[in-house]
Amino acid sequence: MGAEVITVSTDTQFVHLAWKRDEKLLENVQYPMGADPTGRISRMFGVYDEETGLALRGTFIINPEGVILNSEVNYYNMGRNIDELMRKFKANLHLSKHTDEGCPAKWKDEGDKTLKPSADLVGRVYEALQ
Amino acid sequence: MGAEEICCGLKVGQKVPDFEMDIYDPKKGDFGKISLKKLKKAGKWTILFFYPADFTFV
Repeated sequence: MGAEVITVSTDTQFVHLAWKRDEKLLENVQYPMGADPTGRISRMFGVYDEETGLALRGTFIINPEGVILNSEVNYYNMGRNIDELMRKFKANLHLSKHTDEGCPAKWKDEGDKTLKPSADLVGRVYEALQ
Repeated sequence: MGAEEICCGLKVGQKVPDFEMDIYDPKKGDFGKISLKKLKKAGKWTILFFYPADFTFV
């Protein structure tokens, strides 16, 4: 998909290996599995839970310049929607090449309408999206 | 990378300090490291996907 996806938990790389080997559900998972046993990286992104020593379900999209463009954090009991992650990533890619545009809430994929902020657009977003 | 550079709770729009992390790489079936600096140099986007723990119900 054009990005390096890295999964991260506070487990060590050795446990990652054991889990990957053991759990059939992970058979096709190819992403590098990051080990953050000290919580250093998790703290950096504000997802480290001091009470449990675990990382919350946080997702962060970082551009090639190293800037965070999206962040989403869910509590332990809610999973993330991969389609929404893909949508955000595609929108970021589009916007990085078209810096004068904005992707509206319902933008889903390349070819969908974007907005170009200008004096004409003020109060006319509805019309622009038709 | 000094610990003082890495504070907590980075926000959208902020630059992430370069970091390295040990990984298990399923593609190679081996251990390794990832480096944000190297990913940036390669012109790559990085998506970090945190989860609570291995052997649980992701």
